[in-house]
Amino acid sequence: MSVWEMLFYILVFPGLLFLLGWTFFVFYFSRKVLAYVHKRVGPHYNGPAGSLQTVWDVFKLLTKESITPKSADPYLFNIIPIITPLVAALPVILIPWTPLINNGHAILDTDYGVLGLVVLIGVEPFLLFLTGFGSHNKYSFLGGMRILAQMISMEAPFFLAALSPALLFGTMNLYEIMYSNTWLTTLILLPGAIIFIITMLGILEQPPFNIPDAEQEIVYGFYTEYAGTNYTLLKFAEFTEILVVSAAAVTLFFGGYRGLFFDSFWWLFLKIALLAVVMVAIRASNPRLRLDQMLKFTWSWLTPLAILNLVWITFAKLYIVGV
Amino acid sequence: MEKIKEILNKFDMEYVEDYKPTWVKAKLKDKKDIVDVVKALKEAGVASCSTVSPTDFPEENRMEINYFLEDIENKKNVWLKVDIDRDLEKCEIDSITPVLESADYHELESYSTFGVKFKGHPNLRYFLISADYYGKFPFRKDFDWEEHEKQLIENVNAISDEFFEEYEENEETMGHEDSRTVLHWGPTHPASGPIRLKVYVNGENIEKVEPDIGYVWRALEKLAERKDFIGTIVAVERVCFMDNTNPMICYAQAVEEIAGKEITPFAKYMRVILGELGRTVSHLISMGGFFGTMGLQTFLMWCLDVREYFLDVLEDYSGARIATACIEPGGVRYPLNDYKAWFEEINKAIEKWESVKPDIEDIFMKNPLMVTRAKNTGVFTKEDVVENYLAGPIARASNVKVDVRIDEPYAGYADLEMDYVTCDSGDARDRLFIIYKEINQSIDLIRQAMKKIEEGIEAGEMDPKKDHMVKMPRRMPEGEAVSRVEWARGEMLMHLVTMPKSTNPYRLKIKAPSVNHTRILEKLIPGHTLSDIPLLYGSMHICQGDLDR
Repeated sequence: MSVWEMLFYILVFPGLLFLLGWTFFVFYFSRKVLAYVHKRVGPHYNGPAGSLQTVWDVFKLLTKESITPKSADPYLFNIIPIITPLVAALPVILIPWTPLINNGHAILDTDYGVLGLVVLIGVEPFLLFLTGFGSHNKYSFLGGMRILAQMISMEAPFFLAALSPALLFGTMNLYEIMYSNTWLTTLILLPGAIIFIITMLGILEQPPFNIPDAEQEIVYGFYTEYAGTNYTLLKFAEFTEILVVSAAAVTLFFGGYRGLFFDSFWWLFLKIALLAVVMVAIRASNPRLRLDQMLKFTWSWLTPLAILNLVWITFAKLYIVGV
Repeated sequence: MEKIKEILNKFDMEYVEDYKPTWVKAKLKDKKDIVDVVKALKEAGVASCSTVSPTDFPEENRMEINYFLEDIENKKNVWLKVDIDRDLEKCEIDSITPVLESADYHELESYSTFGVKFKGHPNLRYFLISADYYGKFPFRKDFDWEEHEKQLIENVNAISDEFFEEYEENEETMGHEDSRTVLHWGPTHPASGPIRLKVYVNGENIEKVEPDIGYVWRALEKLAERKDFIGTIVAVERVCFMDNTNPMICYAQAVEEIAGKEITPFAKYMRVILGELGRTVSHLISMGGFFGTMGLQTFLMWCLDVREYFLDVLEDYSGARIATACIEPGGVRYPLNDYKAWFEEINKAIEKWESVKPDIEDIFMKNPLMVTRAKNTGVFTKEDVVENYLAGPIARASNVKVDVRIDEPYAGYADLEMDYVTCDSGDARDRLFIIYKEINQSIDLIRQAMKKIEEGIEAGEMDPKKDHMVKMPRRMPEGEAVSRVEWARGEMLMHLVTMPKSTNPYRLKIKAPSVNHTRILEKLIPGHTLSDIPLLYGSMHICQGDLDR
C-alpha cells in the first residue's frame, strides 16, 4: 500500500469525504422520507428538492459557539467529541466496500473481521456515556446511565446474531462471508438478520429504542449540554455509526456489494438505503418504549431467540448446507 | 332534589330554592356552618366540588363565596353561597378541602386572587401569581393597578431569586450521598406546554411531583370586567385556543339567562355545529399530542392535516381560523348567506376524516408498542373520578356517565340523538380511545344538526339570513347566572354576576377542567418512572390556557 493510496483511503474513500457525503445524504434522506410519511414537504428551498439544506445546516452548526459549561469537566467534555467520530469511523477499514479497491477485499483484510466489527461498534456507547458523565448535568447523566443499560442488554443479542454467519460459513473474514452467501444461505440467515436489525436499532438509539436521548423525558439525554462544533462532531459520529452498522448488516447477511448482473458499490449502497427506509418507517410509526420494557424485551425475548438462532444455524450447517 | 333541600333546611339558611332542573340554590347565614353543610351533603352523594368563586362587594363590605357542589352520577347539584367579611384580616373561612378534596386548587386560586384565607387548608400558598407580583389579590375591586405597574420593574428579580434559593435548599437537603434529586419537567419542554413539574426522583423512580402553574396567567376573569358584554367573548374564547367555540357558548348562555332572552332554533343548531367543530379540532390535537408524548410525531402531523379542513370550515363562517369570536349573546354572530356552500365545506372536512380513519385505526389505535406502554398505566377508578372531580373524557374513560350535553341539555342538544360515550378500564389507553370515539360522535351530531337546519329551511321555519340573532338589551338587569357546557376537556362552568343597568360583567368566574386534571398529577405520577411522565401527562389532555386563565 503506497502512501498516496493510504491518503486516498483516509481522506476520500471510504474515509473522511465519503463519510461526510454520507452524513449529508442520510440526514437529507431521513428528513425527506419522514416528511413524506408525515404528509409534509420537508426540506424544500435550498438546492434541488431541498438537497442542500442539510449542508447548510451542518455549516451553520459549525459556525455556532461551542459552549463548555462552567461545572463540566472541560477536558473530558471536549475530548470525547473528537474521539467519538474517530472510533465510529474505524470499522470502515474492515468492510469490503467495492470491487475496485484491493481486489474487492476490505482495506484491512483480516480473519477476525466480524470480531473487529463487533468490538469497535461496541466501544462507541461507552464514549457516549462519558459525554453524559462529563457534562455534569442531571439530564445528561441520566441519558448516560440509560445508554449503558441499553448497550449492556443490546450487545448480547447483537453479538450472537453477528456470529451466526460466521458459524454458518466457518470463517470470520468478511470477504469470505460475503462471497459464500447464496440465496439459500440468505434465507437460512434471515432470523439472525432480523435479530441483528432489531438490536441495530437499539445500538444506534433509533426509535423505538431512542431511550437515551428521549426528548420528552430527559431533554436531550447525553447531548443536552453540547452545542456548535462539539455537537456537530457527535452527530457526525452518530451518522457514521449508522453507516457502519448498516454496512455490517448488509455484508454479513445480504451479500454486501454483490448484486444481480454485476458487482458494484451501488448495490451495497442500495441495500443500505433500503435498510435506512426500514429504519425510518419504524421510526415514523412506533412510539418509544420504556427503559424497563426494553430491558425485559432484550433479556427475556431477544437474547434467548438469538441463542436459539445459533442452534438453528448449527442444524442448518449440518443438514441443509452440509459441512 | 327534595332530600338535598331537606338537608339544607336543617341548617340556618337565608333561602333554599330551585334553580334550573338540576340545581338547588341556597344561601348560608353563618360561615361557621360551612364544613358541616358540606359534610352532610357529601353523605347525601354531593361529593365533588366543581369550583369556588368569591365575588367582591366593596360597598357592602362583604365577600360572597359561591360553592358549586355536584353529584356527578345522580346529576344533583348545589349552589351554596355564604357571606364573609372583606377586610383582609378578617377575610377567612373554614376550608372544605379536608372534606372535599376536589376543592383544593380552587381554594388556593381564591386565596391568591381575592385573599380569602381558608382555615385548615392543608397547604395554603400563593398560586398562579408569580413571586414578582406586587400587591397580591389582583381580582379585588380595590386592587391598586397603578401602584402595581410602578412596582413591577423593581420586583423583576424576585422569580430568579426564588429559583436560586430553592436550588440551594434542594442541594442542602438532598445532598450528594444517594441518587435522589429534583428534576424540572418544563416549562419549555417538547411535551409539556407552559407548566413546570418539580419531579423528585430517586434514579429513574419518581417519589413526588409538584406542579408549578401560572406561566400563561392572563387574568381573563378580571379582563372580562373591563370589557362590555360583547367584547367579553374575545376574552372568553382565549381560555384555550384548541376548543375555542364552546367557552363562548357558555358565556353567551349566562348573559342570555340574565337578560331573559331565548335564542332562535336556527341559532341553537348553529351553536351545536360550531361547538362540535371546536371539539373535533381540539380532540384532533389531543389525540396527536398523546403520541407526541411518546416520541412519535407522525400521528400529530396526520391529525393536524385533518384539522386544517375543519379550520377551513370555521374560517368560511367567521373569517378566522383559531380565534373565531363567532358566538355572541343572542345567537351566533353571522348569518349564513349561502348555507349549502358552507355545508358542502363541512362535508368535505368530514370526508377527509373518514378517509384517514381506517389508517388511524390500523396503525395507531392498535399499535402494539402504544398498547404496551399505555395499557394499565395510570388507572382511575370511579371513586377517584368522584373524589377529585375529573371531568369530561377523563371521567367517561373510567365508565362514569357524565356529559353536560345530556345531563343539562343546552343549545340544540335536547333534540338530537346522542348517548354517553364511555370506555371501561380508565387507563391511559382508554383516555386516548375515548377521544377517538368522541370525534366520531361529534361528527354524527354535526350531521344531525345540519339535517335539522336543512329541514327547517325547507319547511320555511328558519331563515338563515335573519334568524341568527335576537336583539339583546344594551344594558343588563341585575342578576346572576350559572351556565355549563361540555367543553372538549370536560365540564366548563361560568358564573356571571351583573349590576343593575350595567354595560359590563361585574364578575365572571370561569371554571375549566384542567385545574383538577393538573392536581391529580400529584397522585398519579409518583410510583412510575421518568419515562411515564409525558405519557400520563399527555393522557390527561391538559391545556395550560384553561389551567391558568
